[in-house]
Amino acid sequence: MAEKTIGRDIVPPDLVAKITGRARYAEDFRAEGMVFAKMLLSPMPHARVRRIDASEALRMEGVLGVLTAEDVPEVSTPSEPILTMEPVYEGEPILAVAAVDEATAAEAVERIVVDLEPLPFALDPLLSLRPDGPDARLEGNIYHIDDDVREMRTHKWAAADFDGAPEGRLPMGEPAFDWSIGDVAAGLEQADGIVEETLIHQSLTHHPMEPRSCMAYWQNGKLHVHVSTQSAARCRASLAGMLDMDMEDLVVVAEFCGGGFGSKITAHPTMAMTALLSQKVGRPVMLRVTRYEENYIGRARPGFQAWAKMGFRSDGRMTGLDLYIVQDQGPYGRSGDAFTAATVASLTYQPEHMRFRGVSVFTNTPPRSAQRAPGGAQIIGMLEPLVDKAARELGMDRVAIRRLNAPASDGWVGPNKGSLTSAYPKEALDKAAEIFGWEERIARSGQTNGTRVTGIGVGLSPFVGGSTGFDGLLVIRPDGKLYVHQGIGNLGTHSIADTARAASDLLDLAWEDVVVVWGDSARHQPWSSVQAGSQTIHAHTRANHAAATQAKRKLQEIAARDLGGSPNAYEVGDGRIFQRSNPGRGMTLARAAERAIELGGAYDGHELDEDLHAMTRASATALAGTGLVSAAKDTYPHDGSTWSWVVGMAEVAIDTETGALEIMEFTGVADCGTVVHPRSLAAQIHGGCIQGFGIARSQKWVYDPKWGVPFAKRFYTARPPGILDVPLSPRWGALDIPDPQTPVGARGIGEPPVGAGSAAITSAVADALGGECLCRTPLTTDVILAAIEGTEKPYRPLETHV
Amino acid sequence: MEILRRAANPWGQEVWIGIGWDLMWLALILGALFTIGHAIWVRSTRGEIPAAPSDPGAASGIPERVTRHGGSARAFHWLMSVAMFALLITAFFPVAGIQFPWVTIHWVAGVALTLLVAWHVFDSSIRRDFWSMWIGRKDVAEAFAQLKDVLSGSEDGGERAGKYPIDHKMYHHATVAVGLGVIVTGLLMMVRIDTPFWPQNPYLLGDGTWGVVYVLHGLCGVALITMIMAHVYFAVRPEKLWLTRSMIKGWITRTEFLSHFDPEKWKVADAGTEVPTAGGGSGAPAGVTPTDHTTV
Amino acid sequence: MAMMRDMIPGFELFQPADIDDAVELLDRHGSDAWVLAGGLDSFDWFKDRIKRPKAVIELGAIGELTGIRETDDGGLEIGAMTSLADVAAHPAIRERFGLLADAAGLVATPQIRNQGTLGGNLCQDTRCWYYRSGWPCYRAGGNTCYAAAPQAMNREHCVLGASRCVAVNPADTAPAVVALDAKMVIRSRGGERVVDADDFFIGPAIDITRMTVLEPGDLLTSVRIPADWANATFYFEKVRDRVAWDFALVSVASALKVEGGTIRDVRLAVNGVAPYPMRLDMVEQAVVGQRQSEEVAANAGIMAIQRARPLRHNDYKVPLMRNLVRRALRETA
Repeated sequence: MAEKTIGRDIVPPDLVAKITGRARYAEDFRAEGMVFAKMLLSPMPHARVRRIDASEALRMEGVLGVLTAEDVPEVSTPSEPILTMEPVYEGEPILAVAAVDEATAAEAVERIVVDLEPLPFALDPLLSLRPDGPDARLEGNIYHIDDDVREMRTHKWAAADFDGAPEGRLPMGEPAFDWSIGDVAAGLEQADGIVEETLIHQSLTHHPMEPRSCMAYWQNGKLHVHVSTQSAARCRASLAGMLDMDMEDLVVVAEFCGGGFGSKITAHPTMAMTALLSQKVGRPVMLRVTRYEENYIGRARPGFQAWAKMGFRSDGRMTGLDLYIVQDQGPYGRSGDAFTAATVASLTYQPEHMRFRGVSVFTNTPPRSAQRAPGGAQIIGMLEPLVDKAARELGMDRVAIRRLNAPASDGWVGPNKGSLTSAYPKEALDKAAEIFGWEERIARSGQTNGTRVTGIGVGLSPFVGGSTGFDGLLVIRPDGKLYVHQGIGNLGTHSIADTARAASDLLDLAWEDVVVVWGDSARHQPWSSVQAGSQTIHAHTRANHAAATQAKRKLQEIAARDLGGSPNAYEVGDGRIFQRSNPGRGMTLARAAERAIELGGAYDGHELDEDLHAMTRASATALAGTGLVSAAKDTYPHDGSTWSWVVGMAEVAIDTETGALEIMEFTGVADCGTVVHPRSLAAQIHGGCIQGFGIARSQKWVYDPKWGVPFAKRFYTARPPGILDVPLSPRWGALDIPDPQTPVGARGIGEPPVGAGSAAITSAVADALGGECLCRTPLTTDVILAAIEGTEKPYRPLETHV
Repeated sequence: MEILRRAANPWGQEVWIGIGWDLMWLALILGALFTIGHAIWVRSTRGEIPAAPSDPGAASGIPERVTRHGGSARAFHWLMSVAMFALLITAFFPVAGIQFPWVTIHWVAGVALTLLVAWHVFDSSIRRDFWSMWIGRKDVAEAFAQLKDVLSGSEDGGERAGKYPIDHKMYHHATVAVGLGVIVTGLLMMVRIDTPFWPQNPYLLGDGTWGVVYVLHGLCGVALITMIMAHVYFAVRPEKLWLTRSMIKGWITRTEFLSHFDPEKWKVADAGTEVPTAGGGSGAPAGVTPTDHTTV
Repeated sequence: MAMMRDMIPGFELFQPADIDDAVELLDRHGSDAWVLAGGLDSFDWFKDRIKRPKAVIELGAIGELTGIRETDDGGLEIGAMTSLADVAAHPAIRERFGLLADAAGLVATPQIRNQGTLGGNLCQDTRCWYYRSGWPCYRAGGNTCYAAAPQAMNREHCVLGASRCVAVNPADTAPAVVALDAKMVIRSRGGERVVDADDFFIGPAIDITRMTVLEPGDLLTSVRIPADWANATFYFEKVRDRVAWDFALVSVASALKVEGGTIRDVRLAVNGVAPYPMRLDMVEQAVVGQRQSEEVAANAGIMAIQRARPLRHNDYKVPLMRNLVRRALRETA
């Protein structure tokens, strides 16, 4: 029998190309007659374009054309347009120029006169909520959604709501949305200890290494695009929607993606922009997005200005949690971060009573989208130091109080108290404490060595870990190999390979006999989940498992038909289908594939299941006759929602004379079901936690409030963490307890590490400062030193983007 | 030649930053051309300084030394000139490439100049004859007469002036206009620099308005270059040295008085005191306090 | 003109083979010329299209600008184009002038230290983000300091030595060369001149558009470290937000000569607090002759910040500077 691949390290099929530089990312492609595009970005945070005069640019030699808002489909407020005549953030694309080279395009942009009328702008949600505060958009400052209406509204609070603001207490006027479980007042009433804080969490640009460059050309009515996206099949679907065209006329090539973190989940307006510019000038167009541009158009995590009040019984059980979140929405859309934050808080602490209130306010800052653990990373990083504070007051161990409140598999989540597929955060805490050496390290909490004081921190971070109902598409070809067609993206997480293992293991194929087909929609993709929300390992081990189960059934039927006996008497192994009682009686999969083609019908893809998605159906139909074709939808039972967990534990040292923070040790332990790929899992835990370190200690936005213009717009000024900011040998572990409600047992892991990394640091810093929660991120050197020295803080109360 | 310096503000809108520094060189050149031209012109057209009319009647009652500028007036003049030179040097030397820490000296000198001017305005309007500097009908007539003399090549020196001849008055008023220009704009600009009294704040006015302020300050500043060059030139001209001396020592001789001034217009009493009168031909009300005004 | 970033406009590139040629080119092109060393400052400016020199004079081919050699007086002469990595690793620098090796070794990242040069590090422009965003500030020839406005974002800016402009000098090696009393060798068409490191860096009070005395036509060719401070007791510390790829919030460099517990001589410089690396001569005078002690160090720290005037967001720099000065003079330093 072939060795099972699940649970062991493999070499992913894209690895060699990546490390040798042979991998071609979007901007590496060239097409006959290709020209280059450059965008003109708004210099103002909010303005009306009165006039565009591109005549001088168009007269330049080598300039082919200009694409403006007039040339692109309109969208309805508050959706983001492809190009705009009313820019709502500094850096928003107003037009794009195509020219024979970038230097010419850049010069052409400089020669275009855009007459802009400045409009009022808002950078800080709280300022916009003031009675006389500015609105980020002409139509209002919130997008109201309820059962009956969806509309832009102006939402203002009373002046009296801001009475506590000068002291840094969050104003809490009329919320735009809320939910409750039980009676939070009663819950807090029952408490023996209360902690209450205003919390500030910064907005954060995603900063993937690869900007969202794009190349597009039209051939015989078909649009071909080379893009950087997280999700291949779903990107194709959403780009077709954006351009209002038939998906069949769209070829999306997305083989490699240099990171997305939620900023490239599906199609991006720049893809449509490039396609339309190509159409307009009649030439292939390459838009190489620069780092500077990526900062503006590359999406961001919504910041929170929040308030939390927690009540605990003397035994540490959380009796009540009252949460208010003011969300910085940016200029478009409606992010779910605040809702998810409340859901994550409910899951993590299982409060007996809980109330959540919030408002999501538009600002003239870059568009928001999901960022790796959207909402969850923010709330865990902010709330965990409060749990520490309660533990300190109650004289409890900080791991114990988390263990006590964390759910088991019978726990619940969210306003509807939904059930869980399984949950082992208590066990994860135990394992993390063991690997980290919590007992020994906690003894060093607050100890000083020279001018350095030690802090010990812990963060417990859940996030959704899977969806269901997608399709798998496999072909066993006459070469005897298994072709796993993937519609998911290749984000760098190895999902394209790791989800294929569900099929190869079930069919007992050696990994060398598996060909993963991915990235090019012309190569036939099944309908897939977005590669986001940590869905993929769960959704597509299921889908591929379903397809492999179907393939195995077809193999058994072919064998039985040719060799006699019942299909159930046949087994697959070592590249053959054979009789279980007489292993010599069988045929190779190569032969079975030939037979499938000869038999036709359902065996070679000419007949397909009814419940398949149209995209899968089209792909399978295109593959029909190439071998044993198996296309199946994931219909495995699934009750409750699927959540993964990561525990982060950190030891930090703070220099009390300089405020310098060093992370000395870190351990991350995951509860994410079955471990499919240990090395990749370690990379996810560490990478996510490091991203969390950046949130906690360095990464930020800075805006000049007078001009509404940002400064932290490249790597250096935005300060994501570098590898030297990470301890030399962070440790990791995983419970490897299969989730009972999914065939492979694996749950997603991309997201929960971020909150764990962030919270471990915010918790450790508070510990080093003797339990003082600064209750804002990032905890930069100046913030820490000002707290130690008691000098004026380097930020004003409630201030953001500082 | 760059007349205005422009820049794109943070929103990409074009705003004025200030005058082009070419204007500084232009002012210097104009000042030089004027002085050289004037010197040549004087040498080619003018002869001797007209002698004092030998009218003994006119000389009677005129003291040996006629006080022209009192102590306070001279103090004002020289303090102002120190401030003015400090301002010009700190403003323009760095532009010309001579680098030194100029900002503090510049604003302190500017504040000093402002205080001096305030005192001068107070002094001349309350304590002395504000109207003596006024340009009236007689001044205009005098100016025409002088102009006629100049154009006709007449060398009789023309009509003699009151205490402040018309050219002095015109120069004074030009200085007032330009001086107030730099002072008002300069005071506004004080909010943009750090002083011990307040932190700098560039946003008191919009950047378009600030551009106008800077341009006015610069224009007035370079105008002062030319004007002061001319002023210094006249002060050192041989035939004007007696006036310069009067700004140092305060008095002029009887001969100088009689040769340049009309005792009817500038009534001078014995012992160097002045007879109460209106300034030379001004439309000022009669009987006001005699003036002691600074001028060129 | 619409704003365009991240696209280097064209320029004429010159790659002279010796100093004479370089100086000749600089002279010929005057203020249109740009000296390109490692490019880590220059390319930022070029790609943002804010500085648009007509002639770029690249020094990489001039062998005589690279290298470290002993001087007759027992000091060292370091070519301006010597990489920061080489400065940090050079045995003689490490052994006798470890202060400079430490400072060079803390610049940015290993990659940047390989590419960046000592001369480039010393001559680099300020990193004030208002200025580097292309805003028409004083330093850019305008009439506004946006960073000093009441609501401005100025956590990285000055607490001392400001004059209208509140940007700080970003160079890690600058306080080290000041503390080592280094001599900056400058060539121009007029010949060679040697300027004390202390005088090399100038503040906005003197010239708001330049960081150093270098004028168009000038070329920094080498840095001479005199023997005077060889093997002194050195201390260098750089406090920053990230361990790599970050400029100092505040840095301190000190050289001490201690005999029998008494401070016989000292040179002390701080960077990140003023528009130029600030030599603390008053503090130096105060501690010379004193016995090295925690108390003397603490008092020196307090003295160092006496005239500090923080902006809206940088109060923290005052205690940080105080503490770093204290650390630089401490016995354990």
